Amino acid sequence: MPPITVRVHRQNPGESKGRKQQYSVELQPAMTVLDVLHRVLADQDPTLSFRRSCRSAICGSCAMRINGRARLACNTQAAGLAARDGSLLIEPLNNLRVVKDLAVDMSGFWKSLKAVRPALIERKTEVPKTFYAIPGKEFHPLSIVQDCIMCSACLSDCTVREVNPEYLGPAALAKAFRFIGDPRDGATRSRLELYSKPNGMWDCDSCLMCNEVCPMGVKPLDAILRMREAALDHGLAQGPGPKHTLAFYDTVVRTGKVNEASTALRSLGVKLVTHPGNLAVAGRAVLRGKQPRLRHRKLRGHDQIQRLIRHVHATRRGRTE
Amino acid sequence: MTVKRDVVVVGAGLAGMRAALEAKARGAQVAVLSKVHPVRSHSGAAQGGINAAIKPEDKWENHWFDVVKGSDYLCDQDAAEILCKEAAENIYELDRMGCLWTRDEHGNIAQRPFGGQGYARTCYIADMTGHFIQHTLYEQMIKNDIEVFEEWFATSLVTANGRCTGVVALSILEGRLEYFQAKATLLATGGYARAYRTTSNAIANSGDGVAMAFRAGAPLEDMEFMQFHPTGLYGIGILVTEGARGEGAYLLNDQGERFMKRYAPEKMELAPRDITSRAIQTEIDEGRGIAGKPCVHLDLRHLGEKKIMERLPQITSLARSFLGVDPVKAPIPIQPTAHYSMGGIACDVDGQTPMPGLFAAGECACVSVHGANRLGGNSLLETVVYGRRAGRAIAAYAKKAPVADGGQEALAKEEARILELLARKEGERTSNLRGELGDVMTGKVGIFRTGADIAAAIQKVVELRKRYSRVLVGNGERVFNVALIEALELGSMLDIALCIATGALARTESRGAHSRRDHPQRDDANWLKHTIYHRHGEEVALSHAPVRITKFPPQERKY
Repeated sequence: MPPITVRVHRQNPGESKGRKQQYSVELQPAMTVLDVLHRVLADQDPTLSFRRSCRSAICGSCAMRINGRARLACNTQAAGLAARDGSLLIEPLNNLRVVKDLAVDMSGFWKSLKAVRPALIERKTEVPKTFYAIPGKEFHPLSIVQDCIMCSACLSDCTVREVNPEYLGPAALAKAFRFIGDPRDGATRSRLELYSKPNGMWDCDSCLMCNEVCPMGVKPLDAILRMREAALDHGLAQGPGPKHTLAFYDTVVRTGKVNEASTALRSLGVKLVTHPGNLAVAGRAVLRGKQPRLRHRKLRGHDQIQRLIRHVHATRRGRTE
Repeated sequence: MTVKRDVVVVGAGLAGMRAALEAKARGAQVAVLSKVHPVRSHSGAAQGGINAAIKPEDKWENHWFDVVKGSDYLCDQDAAEILCKEAAENIYELDRMGCLWTRDEHGNIAQRPFGGQGYARTCYIADMTGHFIQHTLYEQMIKNDIEVFEEWFATSLVTANGRCTGVVALSILEGRLEYFQAKATLLATGGYARAYRTTSNAIANSGDGVAMAFRAGAPLEDMEFMQFHPTGLYGIGILVTEGARGEGAYLLNDQGERFMKRYAPEKMELAPRDITSRAIQTEIDEGRGIAGKPCVHLDLRHLGEKKIMERLPQITSLARSFLGVDPVKAPIPIQPTAHYSMGGIACDVDGQTPMPGLFAAGECACVSVHGANRLGGNSLLETVVYGRRAGRAIAAYAKKAPVADGGQEALAKEEARILELLARKEGERTSNLRGELGDVMTGKVGIFRTGADIAAAIQKVVELRKRYSRVLVGNGERVFNVALIEALELGSMLDIALCIATGALARTESRGAHSRRDHPQRDDANWLKHTIYHRHGEEVALSHAPVRITKFPPQERKY
């Protein structure tokens, strides 16, 4: 196989910006991106820094940005990507500080994880002497989330974390959901209150990047949405997030489509007009002819949408029972 | 600078975390050091499950017998007894901590059959059992506010008058060395199958703790017994769980024959690992590998897509992404792979080594519960049972032990050693030496061994150790120096390889995972005993210790 070009992000401790260093690596069949990095380290450049350990996509060490998105180096085949894009571009994860080259400071990730109180809080009563007899299907959604290997790929590519470093991020919130759904946990309500706070689950803008890049199929966004449902079921409807969801839902139920004006008003209340940033957005929308219509008409075929909504409710009941 | 704690735990896999939790619960001031973050530890790669007799019709005594027989009668029966007797309560405890055991429709903890056992007693979570237990214990570490020094690489033990007083460790992120002074030091650093070329082990599994203990003068035990897992992904070596065969998968040779019927007619694919690996290697050696290649097939197809995806999702995804093989539609090419270190640091049933102040638990320890061959599902069990026991022991020890002093000269010595490595301008690359080591260990101290091969391997390892004295790191940077860590790890593996080969040459019999073509029989008259390894300068000296036989007299081992 012909050699491929590999461009690697290099950055020394204390430097605020990195540079790309180019290597040429001869590909062997079935070579992974991690194999490529090891070849560079062994044959060309012993000063390269990166994390890795298990080589089998379970330890979560080697997440990095490969050709523009977060992936695990150990289970990414080099040949396919190099053929598609002409070369490999290997960069450190986003949204975390670079320690050296491809190694990032993970402390921001662990801090968010610890903030969700990520351990079972035992019920005060009913603790069995042996084990909890809980049918397996109740654990199923939790197991999907617990597959998380904490590689931080999702946090790297999270578009909310990028603008708000305080946002807990997909992995921590997925971990949070693991306890919400657990019948052994004795603190569901106080957890939902905690996760409903600013920088929590309502800050997610559902861009789907976390579901997209997760190497384990955890689907953090799905966990976040389920947790929002749980919060509303517990009557935790304060704050712009839940209000927005409820207002959105109401207008769709009533008219078949979202009423942007009333949804915004109900989400933000008086802040819609008192917050200067919002006024500026509204002004720009008007100038470009994109202001929401004030007269909101019922959509034709609205009864079919209502039927859909009823169906979703019925499925949800089936799921939780 | 010195960090002073009652107890220091080196390694944060299952054994280390379980021990740290126990020691803190018992009032000790605990620090955990780990060269990788706790959730990155290799315990998380354990797939298939953890054994415990928890059904009314299954008795822990049956499990005990299976362990003793599986060990080819080399385990200490009192240690195996504790393992099996305390198994159930450890499983239940993990459940109350939040472990998401796979359950049946009644809510009971599900169990699957595993090799070499008379009952389906392996508890599991799909094929990610180690991962789930590891994350459950890490949750408890956070909840109990255990102090963890993440990404600190322990470089040596510190001793004073024959007593262990702590470790010197290097911060990978910052590049500085510290002396961690402790009344009790627990090594829980895992196995050392990385000394082999084809291995299921993580890059981190270089046996640093075992090598460190050996250099400091603590004896090692039964190092010649290296387990080869029958089913590693062909060409890569990473693990395909025994749970696949537990769920009913077949092993097939090039002729499509279920060849295990010729090796273990009763247990078939669920024979113990030593026997199954030898069977696969024999098929390959006799020309029945797939298309003449050194591999056979693991066939899951008849299990059906639903069962495969529910019970074996991880290996399915590994086969797809590493070999481009979809186990739902095609058999997986597999080969035996160096997997588990039965030997390790000699210690008693509380993890205490003969060196005062030094304890060991988990794969780096040799209690010995596995003897000459470990049964699948017992390694995770050992980590929690003996991790908990060691945690209790170090807390108790720290209460009565005097405060250690000194150690500054050890720190200075390590600093000088690291500086010398960083400054060296020429020498031989780590990767060359490591490659040659892996080749000779897999080639000559592998599944089948002969005296001549092992002697040649010893000669080679001695040569590699000489060349290692001028190993080139080639990177003078202190922060996140991967090349430096690799060089230090190679030093551990070279010491361990010398021990493995020396013990393997001396043991002129075949027992469990140690199979000598020139001595094909088990020889209880001369070799029903443990090998003990001592350091004599640069040499390895051997002595022996009796096997503790408390209940089951040795018999011929048939499956």
